Amino acid sequence: MKLEKLVRMANEIARNLRSQPGDQAVTATAEHLRHFWTPGMRASLIEHAQAGGAGLDSIALQALRTLA
Amino acid sequence: MKNTFGTSAGTQDFKSVAQSDVILLIGANPTDAHPVFASRMKKRLREGAKLIVADPRRIDLVRSAHVEAAHHLALLPGTNVALINAIAHVVVTEGLVKEDYVRERCDLAAFESWARFIAEERNSPEAMQAITGVPATEVRAAARLFANARNGAIYYGLGVTEHSQGSTMVMGMANLAMATGNIGRDGVGVNPLRGQNNVQGACDMGSFPHEYSGYRHVSDDATRELFEHLWGVPLSKEPGLRIPNMLDEALTGGFKGIYIQGEDIAQSDPDTQSVVAGLMAMECVIVHDLFLNETAKYAHVFLPGSSFLEKDGTFTNAERRISRVRKVMQPLAGLADWEVTQRFAQALGMAVHYTHPSEVMDEIARLTPSFAGVSYAKIDAMGSLQWPCNDQAPQGTPIMHVDHFVRGKGRFMLTEFIPTDERTGARFPLLLTTGRILSQYNVGAQTARTPNNQWHDEDVLEIHPFDAENRGIKSGDHVLLQSRSGETSLRAVISERMQPGVVYTTFHHARTGANVVTTDYSDWATNCPEYKVTAVQVSRTSGISEWQKEDRKRDDFLRRIERSAADVAR
Repeated sequence: MKLEKLVRMANEIARNLRSQPGDQAVTATAEHLRHFWTPGMRASLIEHAQAGGAGLDSIALQALRTLA
Repeated sequence: MKNTFGTSAGTQDFKSVAQSDVILLIGANPTDAHPVFASRMKKRLREGAKLIVADPRRIDLVRSAHVEAAHHLALLPGTNVALINAIAHVVVTEGLVKEDYVRERCDLAAFESWARFIAEERNSPEAMQAITGVPATEVRAAARLFANARNGAIYYGLGVTEHSQGSTMVMGMANLAMATGNIGRDGVGVNPLRGQNNVQGACDMGSFPHEYSGYRHVSDDATRELFEHLWGVPLSKEPGLRIPNMLDEALTGGFKGIYIQGEDIAQSDPDTQSVVAGLMAMECVIVHDLFLNETAKYAHVFLPGSSFLEKDGTFTNAERRISRVRKVMQPLAGLADWEVTQRFAQALGMAVHYTHPSEVMDEIARLTPSFAGVSYAKIDAMGSLQWPCNDQAPQGTPIMHVDHFVRGKGRFMLTEFIPTDERTGARFPLLLTTGRILSQYNVGAQTARTPNNQWHDEDVLEIHPFDAENRGIKSGDHVLLQSRSGETSLRAVISERMQPGVVYTTFHHARTGANVVTTDYSDWATNCPEYKVTAVQVSRTSGISEWQKEDRKRDDFLRRIERSAADVAR
């Protein structure tokens, strides 16, 4: 899949979970990606996150790092 | 609802509406899309129940011969969460929370953090008015009416789910129902009006790529082992691709084959041109359908389908009711759908040998705790069954969450309003929303091939008189409907049902192709397409769009059935 679309989808998830209390936003975002994304989609975006993660929301970025 | 109540199932049976005192109807038009349930609802309204309609359009239920809504909250498409938060804000800040209920049934820490969030001034009807377009006084009055009802019920349709914040909205409605004590008895609940007769049944059977039957995640070891043991094959603990992502992957070469049964994604799914590009990029597209539908134009293999009259099986509706479908004639294609699929599986080397759909149901019962007590014999004896049906509920379950929530304590979720990225601007200043009418069914694969076309033979664009006048459009004019995804042309009808700035059409006819215009935006959690919000421009035109010209050419040469040399010789 196009990286641009994966970034957009991950950012939408992070934005919608941002208001969860405490540090739950990062955990919930990571859990969502693990539960609903294929390993291939996750791997592409984890690779992008490790290469700096341009365009990624900070919560999405942290979540992807916990999945790496 | 899985997050809040512990299961995503609708909470009531349909007859529950006969006990409702206030009905909050959000993003649903039962008159056209759910006529059988609509009769029950209208009967209750005629008996004096009050109705609150939240819908961008002035649907029939807002005011018709014997029904008049107490409030019509005519919100802008895409602002459902802002509205539900404003309603909940009134409930919390005006002391209308059913405290005893919340204390007994809900997780208190989650409630308190939700109540603090929802009470913030930015969630008030006054603050949200600029976003939703609904006057704050109306929202306050509607919230008080709902919260003070003896039995308050929420009914919702695809006008809730088909949004970028569809899942958030479902949580918002669940929060409101818990805060007002409206879950777990007759006359209340959070009730989905599904898009099709068997959506519930398909979801129950694990049609999502992350679930087994009964909504159990693929990563759940105990569940997976059950299936592995019975089927004798190792199974993956990872989720698969959802439809839009399959099509995306096809374009980059990562997805090569698809078997599509009874679905016409080249017409029903958003952003038609991308769907077609995805299908064309695949190596093997198999379409199994009653008709050579739009998707069949891009198929390498076509398998003839059977209608509901030609096969045995079950449908499960939105009240979780499993009903039998009975064959009245042999399938004209020779095999019923399930037999075609079984032959296909056998050709791939799988050892499946069911002789009747009842054997499939027996396997479902063995593998799925909420179906453990279901069998064809029991359905026949009782007429129909509502799951969960097992040792704890041998007769089935009409109403869910009676003494406690499935998950234990009801959990309030924070529902921040986040506007969709689909915005109006100078190029696309209007919002398009879509819906259905009574005489056609969905993309018309079945009904648009019948004399029902006498009632509805084309999709038209409904537009407010103000927007029409600005563009020099009269009723009956051909107009071009354009978005960043694509463009199509259809006839305009000027309608006071619309609010200024919002246009509407149905998606029943392939020749209009409303989904050429819709975008690839989707719900953040489920990827359910955002059919209900597309920024568009409308202008007068004299002809059909480029896409329509191309599609009409394809209609001819991609549907032609070549006769084989042997046929010709005969």
